[in-house]
Amino acid sequence: MADRKTGGGQQPDAKGEASGDIKTDASAKIERDSFVHTFFKKGAEFTDELLRENDRLRKRLFDLESENAALRTHLASDEAIRELLRKIEYLEREKEQLLSHVREAERNSSHLFTRYSEVEEELSNLAHLYVASYQLHSTLHLREVLRHLKELLTQLVGSRAHAFYLKDGSDLVPISSDGIELSRLPRLAIHAGSRKEEDRGSRDRTGDLIERVFMTGVAHIEEGELSTAPRDQPAACVPMRIDDAVVGVIVIYSLLDQKEQFLPVDYALFKMLGAHAATALMGALLFANSNGKFPGLEAIDAITRNVGDDLK
Amino acid sequence: MSAEYTCLVVEDSPMMRQLLVFALSRVKNLRVTEADDGVDGLRKLAAGRFDIILTDINMPIMDGLKLVKRVRSDPMHKDTPVIIITTEGAAEDRKRAIELGANAYITKPIQAPQVIAKVKELLKIVP
Repeated sequence: MADRKTGGGQQPDAKGEASGDIKTDASAKIERDSFVHTFFKKGAEFTDELLRENDRLRKRLFDLESENAALRTHLASDEAIRELLRKIEYLEREKEQLLSHVREAERNSSHLFTRYSEVEEELSNLAHLYVASYQLHSTLHLREVLRHLKELLTQLVGSRAHAFYLKDGSDLVPISSDGIELSRLPRLAIHAGSRKEEDRGSRDRTGDLIERVFMTGVAHIEEGELSTAPRDQPAACVPMRIDDAVVGVIVIYSLLDQKEQFLPVDYALFKMLGAHAATALMGALLFANSNGKFPGLEAIDAITRNVGDDLK
Repeated sequence: MSAEYTCLVVEDSPMMRQLLVFALSRVKNLRVTEADDGVDGLRKLAAGRFDIILTDINMPIMDGLKLVKRVRSDPMHKDTPVIIITTEGAAEDRKRAIELGANAYITKPIQAPQVIAKVKELLKIVP
């Protein structure tokens, strides 16, 4: 307080110099204080600014680090996506290959199935032929042979009405029938193409057909749908042969309703019948003529001797 | 071969019987017994158990329809599948056979693949 009264710590002397000095000192002090104040203020401001800048930089650094992390993640994610795409592409290729294998396997399977069905059908046809020929030659009794022939046509071919004609002199004579009365079937004279046109009217188309098959040795078998075949002629007419000679004809007049058409196995059966039916019938007739006696070894010897003479 | 299934074929025609036996020999593990008419069929049924029966309709002494009737009244075979084989293809015959208890109907002339397929179907044999 004393200093304040005296105007500070230094007492001004009486002279103006002293007063001036005091003034100067005070002013300087003020200036100094002001400077210091300003300095500190500026320092404080600068410090504040530095702290703010530091904060800002920290924030920026944090942001950049976050951004960096995000970019790293993004990059990793992109790489993962690229890897996944590569994997998808590989899997797609693999899928295509597998599908191709499956298609090939299906084709093979279908081919094998078709082949299997064909083999099964072939086996079935062979079984038909085996059974037919086995039954046909399993007996020498005429009645049995005829029964087997009838069964063969009914059970295996599906015949509803049929007859067997054998050559007797210049006629074809019906010897057995099924599904049609034997007495209704006429003897057919073989004209060898010499029949006059006016005689033709006395015989129906069936008679003509039977005669033609006998003369030519060429079978008549209706091809295609049997329901659309002509009703006034047989569905099939098959010549019966012994060696090269035609000795009779098998006539199939009609077939069971469910028999829609002749199948490959029927053609094979007709061929077999053409070659075996007559020999079975002739064998049975010869056996009947010998009163059911089997020839002895002497008969075989005689035949062998004759054959031997022929060869000489 | 140990038979897994047993089958009775009742058919008076030796030719058809032989053909059916040939066809059925294509079914794996199936043992076939033959009977030449309905009465013989009943005799064979009384002597053992069968998993499936194939019978012709037109037979002497006892026809196939009567046999089906008898089979359905037999406690041992009342549920045994029966396939009727006949020359008649009419729908009425089919209906009559099914009404009497037959499970399937095959018309002549028989085709082996058809017989095999029907037997496998009724015996639930996976192809």
